Amino acid sequence: MARNMITVAVVKRLPGFTLDIAWSAEEPVAVLFGPSGAGKTLTLQCLAGLIRPEAGRIVVDGRVFFDAALGINLPPPRRRIGYVFQGYALFPHLTVTGNVAFGLRDRPRAERLDRTREVIERLGLRGIEERYPRELSGGQRQRVALGRALAIDPALLLLDEPLSALDRPLRESLRDELRRILDDWQRAVVVVTHDFAEAYRLGDRVIVYDAGRVVQSAPRSELLWQPASESVARIMGIRNVLRGTVVKATSDRIQVRWRGLTLEAVNSPTRSYLPPPDAPIAFFIRPEYVRLIRKDRGAPDPVHHMNLMTGVVVSDVDFGTTWTLRIRLDEPGEPAQGAFDLEVEVPRLVYEILEIDRDRHWQLSIHRGSIHVLPA
Amino acid sequence: MRRLVTALLLFAAVGAAGAQTPPPGVTLTVFAASDLAFAFYEIVPRFEKALGVKVSLVLGSSGNFARQIEHGAPADVFFSADEQFVDRLVERGFAIRESRALYAQGRIVLATPRVAGRKLRDVRQLLDPRVRHVAIANPLHAPYGRAAEEALRRVGVWETVKGKLVYAENIRQALQYVQTGSVDAGLVALSIARVPEIDWVAIEPTLYGPLNQAAGVVRASQRPELALAFIQFVNGPEGRPIMKRYGFQLPGEF
Amino acid sequence: MDLFPLWLSLGVSLTATALTLLLGVPMAWVLARKRFPGRNFLEALVVLPLVLPPTVLGYYLLLLLGRRGPVGAALAALGAEIAFTWRAAVVAAVVGSIALLIKAAQAGFESVDRQLEQAARTLGRSEWGVFWSVTLPLAWRAVLAGTILAFCRAMGEFGITLMLAGSIPGRTQTLPLAIYDHVQANQMREANALALIAVGVVALLVFGLSRFARVRF
Repeated sequence: MARNMITVAVVKRLPGFTLDIAWSAEEPVAVLFGPSGAGKTLTLQCLAGLIRPEAGRIVVDGRVFFDAALGINLPPPRRRIGYVFQGYALFPHLTVTGNVAFGLRDRPRAERLDRTREVIERLGLRGIEERYPRELSGGQRQRVALGRALAIDPALLLLDEPLSALDRPLRESLRDELRRILDDWQRAVVVVTHDFAEAYRLGDRVIVYDAGRVVQSAPRSELLWQPASESVARIMGIRNVLRGTVVKATSDRIQVRWRGLTLEAVNSPTRSYLPPPDAPIAFFIRPEYVRLIRKDRGAPDPVHHMNLMTGVVVSDVDFGTTWTLRIRLDEPGEPAQGAFDLEVEVPRLVYEILEIDRDRHWQLSIHRGSIHVLPA
Repeated sequence: MRRLVTALLLFAAVGAAGAQTPPPGVTLTVFAASDLAFAFYEIVPRFEKALGVKVSLVLGSSGNFARQIEHGAPADVFFSADEQFVDRLVERGFAIRESRALYAQGRIVLATPRVAGRKLRDVRQLLDPRVRHVAIANPLHAPYGRAAEEALRRVGVWETVKGKLVYAENIRQALQYVQTGSVDAGLVALSIARVPEIDWVAIEPTLYGPLNQAAGVVRASQRPELALAFIQFVNGPEGRPIMKRYGFQLPGEF
Repeated sequence: MDLFPLWLSLGVSLTATALTLLLGVPMAWVLARKRFPGRNFLEALVVLPLVLPPTVLGYYLLLLLGRRGPVGAALAALGAEIAFTWRAAVVAAVVGSIALLIKAAQAGFESVDRQLEQAARTLGRSEWGVFWSVTLPLAWRAVLAGTILAFCRAMGEFGITLMLAGSIPGRTQTLPLAIYDHVQANQMREANALALIAVGVVALLVFGLSRFARVRF
């Protein structure tokens, strides 16, 4: 896989919003992830040359696209960018062939025809070449938009919410197909999405945006397990983000006081994080890692069961393959998340075997490795 | 798309070619006030035959004509409904002083549409509440309109009749309002009043300032002698009877 | 019956419409897409001819293009004349009708999704290329509608022409001026005949163009 290097640092001021970001990526697919309005699309437009930042520098593969200090600003045609817009922006007055071949106008006719045919073939568009965009399905449109962008053999491919215009089942199957296509073409790619599952599936590096700034840039697995802060965790849609007070911190363990309980969590392996006692601390517990202790198996076993607590199921929701329970602990005081303390996810099978619909009172166990502390 | 642009340019070229003026013989261009219409329709052909030339007769508002001549309008001779327009042109050097000549004195009359049934005989009858609309040429820029206003003031009915007035662009338009019965009455020029659709009665000339109508040869004219000849033709033995027939007072008679 | 006014009007209107397109389409595009100081002023200037009384407009143009005017005098020195010639009728027609084309075309261009133009830019087109390959093809109906309107307006142009070109029979007396003169002279038969011809010719042209537009869906 070729090494692609993108370095971006831009400042762009708009009424009511300022974009001030800097990141770089060597991985093939970089994902800009964050809530709507965080400045991700704006970044793409700066990369493409459609918007001129006030300050900064953009370098792709050693070519300087933009440098405010030196007064360099390559216009879009010179940057060789393939841009797949949100909504695809297919030319309604051209057929599929016309759309795909649009960027190839200044090539000799034979080459243009060959290239167009090749792209149509590779993206599975054969048979619908003469159709107009309004006659195509969502998935077909996405492929035409991709094909059009890839036909010009771009140095950099930009995808803005490539899957959000599609409905759910299609989105998931196309997500895999898209990743396959991206692997196939081996281009530097920047994808924008607000869906974490999409970001995780498509990207190698995830750059988290919030309100015009980058709050974390990391390979995807690192992001998954170590969100840089509470706000990043919330952006990722992580549930059970909780707040407590530090009791004691050592290099490998942190004890946290929460809801009258003393929890033991592992300390972050990649950084030495040693907050003083009584410092406030945020942490999260993944819902699928909270265990309900079976009542027919005797007393809990301290090796396997730790961070024990008891509570009652106050509501549950059926998601088909899983159930999400909301549990309020028996501890006195206000629950941590409104009407409940913890969200717990159990597979359907477990729900039925344990007869949770009938039996609402449970003892819970959380492994210390499943409590992830968040740096302040 | 390129074909469309070429077609367009072709259209323009054709259009431009088609709009060219026809090759002229000797044509005399006469700018004449609208109230001379009927009289000149008779006089002009006679002049053409007598001198073997073509006349291009353009009728319109004297005020407009004066302005246009100042900006280079291709008139050879200008017959104005109001002498002051010609005098101003002479002053500013656009008309030849020596050619300036009075050719007529206009008269205004009180006209009523025949369809209205009731013929008005006196300006004072305009006060009648049954008379709701009265047409005159706009006093601001038409000399006949000014005369009409003057007459109405002198008689003492201006304040009331003012509210019933319909201002026409020029004397021809005022006549049309009366002809079509769109108004109950109008003050129009005698020279154009002889149409079957209206009845008219003269208004005492002492009630308004004289409508001296003058003509002049335009300095920029290419054929000033011919232009002067036309003025003289109108004021001569051929033109005078026709002018008289259309109700103009002639030079020497006023 | 003298049909010179008809041919003159057709020639003047076709020329004027071609000029209107040449001047108006770029202006419409600039107004639709560009932000610049004085933009509001330009927009007001464009619709001004629709607001001012035609005779007044004609007078101002006469001040400009007549023999004594700054532009007119310069042109006269070069041997070219505008006022009181058929060219003045063309100028009058353009001034009277260009706003119709500009507004229609501007609306058409504004309705083109900007993202499509951005996409074309990323795919290598210059601004000019974007206009020809994306903006105009998607807005052509609006431009056509504006053109039809402008042409009809040019065929009917009266007040400005009267002032700037005069109503000189055989030279600058266009169809509307001829009809008016006939009406003024109470020659209703001639007036009605010309009016009928005017309506007929324009209806034919408009009908033809609309068919063309519909066939191209």
